[in-house]
Amino acid sequence: MALLIGRGDLFEAIEYLRREGEGILARFARSKRGIAYADLRFEVVFNRSGAAVNGEPRDGSESENAAYFVSVYVADRAGPVGHGQTGAEIGALAGRPAKLVAELRRGLNEAYDRARFSARKKAELIAHLGDAAKGLLVAPIPSRKKVRDDVDATFSRDPRSLPTDELKKISLDASHEIAALGDAIAYQVVAAMTEMRREIFIDTAGTVVSQAYAFSQGDCYVVAQIGDGHQESYDSIGQQRGLECLSDGWRGELMPNPSLAKFCVGLATEARELAAAPVLKAPDGEVVVVTDPHFNALVSHEVIGHPCEADRALKMEAAYAGRSWFLHSLADNQLGKQVASTLLSACSDPSLDGYGHYRYDHEGTRGRRVMHIERGIFSGFLNSRETAAVLTAEPNGSARASEGWHVPLIRMSNTFFLPGETPPEKIIADVERGYYVCGHQIPSISESRENFRISARRVYEIDHGRIGRLFRSGSVIADSKSFFSNVDAVGNDLRLIAIPNCGKGQPMQVKRMSNGGPTLRSRARLAGN
Amino acid sequence: MRSLAELKSFTREAARILAREKDVASYEIYCATAEHRIARLAYTSDIPSRGLEEFKSLHADGFQLRITMRRDPHEVGAASEAGDFTSDSVRDAIRRARSAAVVDPHFSGFPAVPLGRKPAPSEKSDLARVGDGAIAAAAWDVLDGALEAFAKRAADPRIEHPGLIIGGDVSVIRDRIAIFNSNFAEVRINEGAHFHASVTSIIESLDAKGTATALGDSAAAMRRDAHVIGRDAVRRALALSHGVRPAPGKFRVVLGPQPIAEILNYMVMGSLTTGAFHAASSAYHAKFGAPVMDSRLSLVDNPMFSAGAFRRRVTCEGIPTRRVELIRDGKLVGLLSNFYDTHRMLTDEHRAEKLGPSAPAKLIFPPLSGYRLGEGGGRRFDASPGSAGTNVVMRARGGVSDRELIRAVGDGIYVGRIWYTYPINGQRAGDFTCTVTGDSHLIRDGEIAEPLAPNCLRINANIAQVFEHPLAVGSTPRPATVWGSPEAYYVPAIAADSIALAEVAPT
Repeated sequence: MALLIGRGDLFEAIEYLRREGEGILARFARSKRGIAYADLRFEVVFNRSGAAVNGEPRDGSESENAAYFVSVYVADRAGPVGHGQTGAEIGALAGRPAKLVAELRRGLNEAYDRARFSARKKAELIAHLGDAAKGLLVAPIPSRKKVRDDVDATFSRDPRSLPTDELKKISLDASHEIAALGDAIAYQVVAAMTEMRREIFIDTAGTVVSQAYAFSQGDCYVVAQIGDGHQESYDSIGQQRGLECLSDGWRGELMPNPSLAKFCVGLATEARELAAAPVLKAPDGEVVVVTDPHFNALVSHEVIGHPCEADRALKMEAAYAGRSWFLHSLADNQLGKQVASTLLSACSDPSLDGYGHYRYDHEGTRGRRVMHIERGIFSGFLNSRETAAVLTAEPNGSARASEGWHVPLIRMSNTFFLPGETPPEKIIADVERGYYVCGHQIPSISESRENFRISARRVYEIDHGRIGRLFRSGSVIADSKSFFSNVDAVGNDLRLIAIPNCGKGQPMQVKRMSNGGPTLRSRARLAGN
Repeated sequence: MRSLAELKSFTREAARILAREKDVASYEIYCATAEHRIARLAYTSDIPSRGLEEFKSLHADGFQLRITMRRDPHEVGAASEAGDFTSDSVRDAIRRARSAAVVDPHFSGFPAVPLGRKPAPSEKSDLARVGDGAIAAAAWDVLDGALEAFAKRAADPRIEHPGLIIGGDVSVIRDRIAIFNSNFAEVRINEGAHFHASVTSIIESLDAKGTATALGDSAAAMRRDAHVIGRDAVRRALALSHGVRPAPGKFRVVLGPQPIAEILNYMVMGSLTTGAFHAASSAYHAKFGAPVMDSRLSLVDNPMFSAGAFRRRVTCEGIPTRRVELIRDGKLVGLLSNFYDTHRMLTDEHRAEKLGPSAPAKLIFPPLSGYRLGEGGGRRFDASPGSAGTNVVMRARGGVSDRELIRAVGDGIYVGRIWYTYPINGQRAGDFTCTVTGDSHLIRDGEIAEPLAPNCLRINANIAQVFEHPLAVGSTPRPATVWGSPEAYYVPAIAADSIALAEVAPT
């Protein structure tokens, strides 16, 4: 039994809405004219964290919050459909059914008014501009069978039942171990977090889905300084589990991690080594690069995952996160075309045991594996119900919000390059002259993700199949299609990496997911500083 | 949103409860209510779209309290509560804060700065009261203006599918705070509201992209700008059609206000904090007091800038705001700071090394920039105090007109918009990379020449190349926004030499 601190258990509000939510939504839909569809999502989050800086305690916190998001579609008499939404954090008010219901009604009414206003404005604009405004006629979202399901979280230690002192201690212990590495570590921060989330999705078409998640995450930032050399490194480990994955480490096949202390010491030791290493002098022209799974996690994230988001491909993110090189238009796109070497395949799979695991998205659609590239051929986008309708595809359950009060956006889940059969040692041994690029650092991607520069934590020379000198401040620059097309070896060492901070949307939503791949060998330009 | 009176009254009541706790030595209570209303534009001529996408709002209100314990003045705990402004929630938060407390040897208590002259709590912006209708109407006006401008273009019958995209948003952010700590004589309050609007127009059949932005603090400005920016973005895109793709190389460039704002936001502002100096991660490590920019350039953060989008009179730590001078005549003379980081920097045993030999012996780093911000830059009840700017203003002594800037370049490139600017080798290295996404031209013989195709070049450079040795600096700071930034920028264009531009292949 969880030991809860607080006046009441906000998680009980999920049970209340499981009983009453459909009725609340149905009564609202009946009371308003023109409602084509409505849904509501409600989420409760309990979080504990601790942080230490330079071997000294810095922070501890525990928080509990509740939030909802509602979405309403209204059809104008003239035809166009308007869409309105509202999200709000309501905290402890969710623990009182009368207040909760009043808040939901307020939100639904506000969303309805917005939807009606938009439907009317669209009708006016279409009447005024004719063909010039024809893009405003959205495709209707197909109906679907109702779904009912409950999904439990996986953990050994319930995040709600731990003393916060344990979070403080685990981060302080790790920070002490880094401090013991000596003066070369100029600054370091270690943070640990464990969290329980539970959400329920209800729509007017009869779907009721509740899902629970346990997340635990450790973060480390370190600045090393030796003489004039310096290195800033930042990395995270995380699992959809309890704190056991940080205190004891996790031995899962796809995404193992050491204990938080071991992870932090490893990162700091590497930063110290890098601060003493020379800066990479960029070689002229393209060179052979062997990229490790950690580096490829960011390549798969930025250059596969993001351009495979259908909202981006359909230009809905053009003003913020950009477009996609996989889709110029509905008629002119890369679907079914060769975009990579036949050795290369990539997919998103929310069913896998990664940081981006889930069963249903925030539109109540079951998530499933989506192949993006199959043996070099581009094969599909992540979508929502609306974008699936535009693309005449089946919804694949990829619309997710980062918090209970946010709008669902199309998001990666566990997105990665599929493994091949070659041992990574052989991939390196077969290189006469080249570079071994390890650990991702910072990305900069062009607007349609057709080009990238991603910095690595470590770059080694490869000379006659052997790993040689270590360099810092190296990065890979390539046009995406060229990089993928030049892949001539794919390792058998698939790893997923927890990505805790993917930003998208306006306002920005920061989402957790996994990315990864095996070792790859290709050709690219390298840059130093 | 809760009223200032509600926040003030609750803060007083919470303070009374906290004062009765026997094991609590000192305390702070911070209440915030914030709202972000967004009317997001998503129009595509050849793909079904909603036009006004995701009209939505985010509401967040709650409070955070911090307590220190009698048994150790460095033992400090924090807890926050969303939505529930009751005595029960205060007691619950006190229990949580006790449980979360850590002995942080560097925690020096809460600010005790007197309020001085009582600041006006409200800027009386009418944006504090505008409803959905006004924001949505402004957004539809943007779209209307954009579509009308496109409909009036010189018709090209060959283009059946023009690939017109109108994206962006009209956002209104408003917040109210009340703060009290056991060193204060009174509850301190503040209220703010501003809007920002940005439009991106892409015409895929012409391989052209134009943008326009607006920032302001009144409903009238929002209405006025909405009529203009959609039209302007489309006109710019039309003027930039069928751009050229220059060969890679090193170029003389003019970086317009948006690129300068983006470089400042991602590369410079983070380095101008006491936190970055303490962490040895500032790009200006060991250069405090030394020249870090061209002697013509000065940079300030001004929470009360008359032309600024923000009006903040009290920080989220309750300290009356003031203008913070960061760079004066090219020298680094000040840092953004919050109360904790000021103390931490001043007591840092490696301070002399981190600040460098040019730092004056006596420094104070007043904590004038301690804000608790959420996504989008509004004040958030559960955020920890960090250091952030408000209206960041760059001025140039002896600045020249845009025309003279372009003349100073002779042959080169005018860069009007960049994207995805990041410190590729870490903040301290100062290296950055980004791509040129639109609003850009070749410069030939000191004149603007052919437009540049969007997304055809990647910049690989260092901040020193832009700010230390510019060819020329513009005379007029212009407003510019950066996606996701808590600050508004007012910056001139700058001409720089030998900027490396790499080619991005067409898709």
